[in-house]
Order: sequence, then C-alpha cells, then structure tokens
Amino acid sequence: MKLTRSYTINDLMEGCKAGDRKMQELLYRQTASKMLAVCMRYAKDRMEAEDVLQMGYIKVFQKIKEYRGEGSFEGWIRRVMVNTAIESYRKNLRSLNVVEIDEAYEQPSTGFDFSRLGMQDLMKVIQKLADGYRMVFNMYVIEGYSHKEIGETLGISEGASKSQLSRARAILKEEIIKMEGFGYATYTG
Amino acid sequence: MQPTQDKDFDQLFKNAFDDAEITPSRDLWSNIESEIEPKKKRIIPIYWLSAAAVLLVVTAGILVYQQQHVNPKQLTSYVAPKVKPVVVEQPVQDSVVTNVKPVEKTEVVLPVSIKPATSLAKTTVKKVAKPVEKQKIVTATEVLKQETTIAKTEEPKKDIKTKIEEAVFQPEKEIVIAANPTTIKADEPINDNDEQNIKNIRNVGDVVNLIVNKVDKRKDKFIQFRTDDDDSSLSSINIGPFKIGKRKK
Repeated sequence: MKLTRSYTINDLMEGCKAGDRKMQELLYRQTASKMLAVCMRYAKDRMEAEDVLQMGYIKVFQKIKEYRGEGSFEGWIRRVMVNTAIESYRKNLRSLNVVEIDEAYEQPSTGFDFSRLGMQDLMKVIQKLADGYRMVFNMYVIEGYSHKEIGETLGISEGASKSQLSRARAILKEEIIKMEGFGYATYTG
Repeated sequence: MQPTQDKDFDQLFKNAFDDAEITPSRDLWSNIESEIEPKKKRIIPIYWLSAAAVLLVVTAGILVYQQQHVNPKQLTSYVAPKVKPVVVEQPVQDSVVTNVKPVEKTEVVLPVSIKPATSLAKTTVKKVAKPVEKQKIVTATEVLKQETTIAKTEEPKKDIKTKIEEAVFQPEKEIVIAANPTTIKADEPINDNDEQNIKNIRNVGDVVNLIVNKVDKRKDKFIQFRTDDDDSSLSSINIGPFKIGKRKK
C-alpha cells in the first residue's frame, strides 16, 4: 500500500487549499490517472490529453479556493478538466469540421455484443471522431450536459448539437461494427 | 425502438468510462509544480538594497554633520572627499549595479553648494602637481638630502593625517583645514585608510559599515550590516526615533 492512500481526498483538498506543496503532489498522484481518462476522451491522442491534464491541474491548484464543498471534490476536479478540455478545443477551434460522412449509415440492428468491448476500444473510436462530434458526444453522453448547455458552450445552436450527437452515435456504431466485424462477421450478416 | 437503443448505446460508454484510469506516460508533476507560484528570486533586491544603503549612508553623513552645527560650506568640503572613496571602493564588490548607482548619488550630494565643488577640483590638480615637483628637486640633489626630504615629506603627512581625523570628528577645527590651500592632504589620508580597509572588505555590508563607523559615532549606528556570513544582511537601522534590529552588545 502506498502512503498516499492514508490521506482521504478531503485531507488532500484541505492541504491544497492551504497551498501545501506536498499535498498538491499527493492529490495529483492520486487522481491523475482518472483525470487523464477524462482528458483522453476529449483529445485526439495521448499527447494532447496530457497537455490538457497538465493545464487542468494548474487550474485546480490556482482555483481551489473557489471549491465550496458543493458536490464531491473529485467531481469538481473532473469538471475543471472537462472545462479545460473544452477551452482548449475552442482555442484551437479547428471548426466543427463536419467531416464528410456517408449519410447512408443504417442504424445497426441488434446483434453486436456490447459486453465484449473494453474501455480502450471505446476510447479509440471516440478519439477517431471529428473534434466537434467528440465534444458533443462526450458532453452529452458522459458528462450529462443538455443540448442547450452544449450549444451555449460551444457556440452552436441547440439543433446543431442534437444533429451532431446523432451523427456521432452513427459513426461510433459503424466503427464498432468494423472493429468487431472481423470476429462477428457471420453473426451480424 | 431507436431511443432505447441510443440509451443502451450511451450507457455502454458511460459504464466503460465511469471508473476509467489511464496512467500518464510522463511525469507531469514537475511541470505543474513549476507553473504554480513560481518562486520569486531575491537576487535583484539585494543589489537595490545595497545601492539604497550607500545613498542612506551619504545622507546620514550630512545629517550627522548638521547635528554637530557645521555650516553647509564646511560640510560639503568634507563630505565631498568622503563620497569619493565610496566610488573607489565599489569595484571590490564585483557588482555593476551598485557601482553605477553611487556615482549618480555623488552628483546629487555635490550640488548642495557649488563653491566647494570648484575647490575640490583645485585640490585634485594640486595633488598631482606637487609630488612631481618635489621628486624633481630630490633627484637633482644628493642621496642623503633625498632621504631627509622624504622623511620630511612623510612626517608632515602623519601630522596631517591626525589633524584631519580630528577635524573630521571635531568640526571646530575644520575651518583651518578648509582654509588650508594644500587641501590635497585631505585626500591622501583618506586614501591610506582605504587601502587598509579594503583588506577587511568582503562585501557591500562591510563597505557600508565602514563608512557608517566613520560618520556615525553613536552606539547604535545609523545603519548596520551583519557581515559574518557571505550574504550581508541588514542587522539594524537607527534613524533618530525610528530604530529597528538587534543592537550590538
């Protein structure tokens, strides 16, 4: 067991609020891998994700006094990460780059086995999405933002958010089928 | 049943990412650490402090003389030569900043009265001229005479040295010295002292202490540096009613 585990996340939070460098490091070490998983969903690759992670933690330590104990501390850190990722996306704004997609995607009927898909696989397909789709999908599906909020945050209309979400889903399904296709070709027909 | 399908599909992702952990491939902590609260270096403030200290000492000198009821004319004629050594001593400190600043400060001090400035200029010319004359005379005459003249020229020097030291600290006699046309003597003893002092000077603090010791004879100096360690640190200040720092016991 690592020593770091002997501090609860609230101990660490108090330490960080007091500006204790050691506690800041412990908080980072204890939460970094979870937060990297968050950042990865919003990024194209690991490098970009780690850059966002670094910026996110700097913000966490700078703004920690703003955390008033509403909701879990980890949830707050996660929100900071998500906001940092969105901010980074908006800065780069490689536009909503609506990649040409075949509208012809059929909603696949039942038949593929969700349970066989690991987190790594899903991460891969999400990262393949065009930036705009990835943002909307993450914000809506994982973070639970409403289309209205997404529209306001990304500067697009609510309708655009909705349509991008369904496109993102369609692309993801297609990708998953492709991924599984090799093993399940006979079942999916 | 598309909505349900979407829901299931979304849930698949939600579950998968809920407790997902991915270990960073590089250690980002050192980067983060350096970004939060970059530590402020205090190298520059030390230079400023020493520059300010020199200025304070010069000002203190003026104040102390005024307290001893010296009229401004005499004051500047004595303060001016005193300021000079400050500039001379500075190169020992390898500090460019402090070196430049005091020079400017001397200009600030000098304009207090214009007359002494001219008398000062005269003295420097005489200083150069006089020894050369003497030397020529000596070389022209015998060796024995040469020795005696040297002895003679040195003897008065000592007298002058003591006279000036007295004069510096007993302002009543200053008038005599100031009226003396061979004001060179005012320069020379001070330079002698400087040579001795330089040996003991290791840092700016020593320089300041030295000057303060000459100017301020009180127990609690106007400004005092602790110079035992490498960094000279301000140990006390005494400006009339305002005193800070440890007193030397």
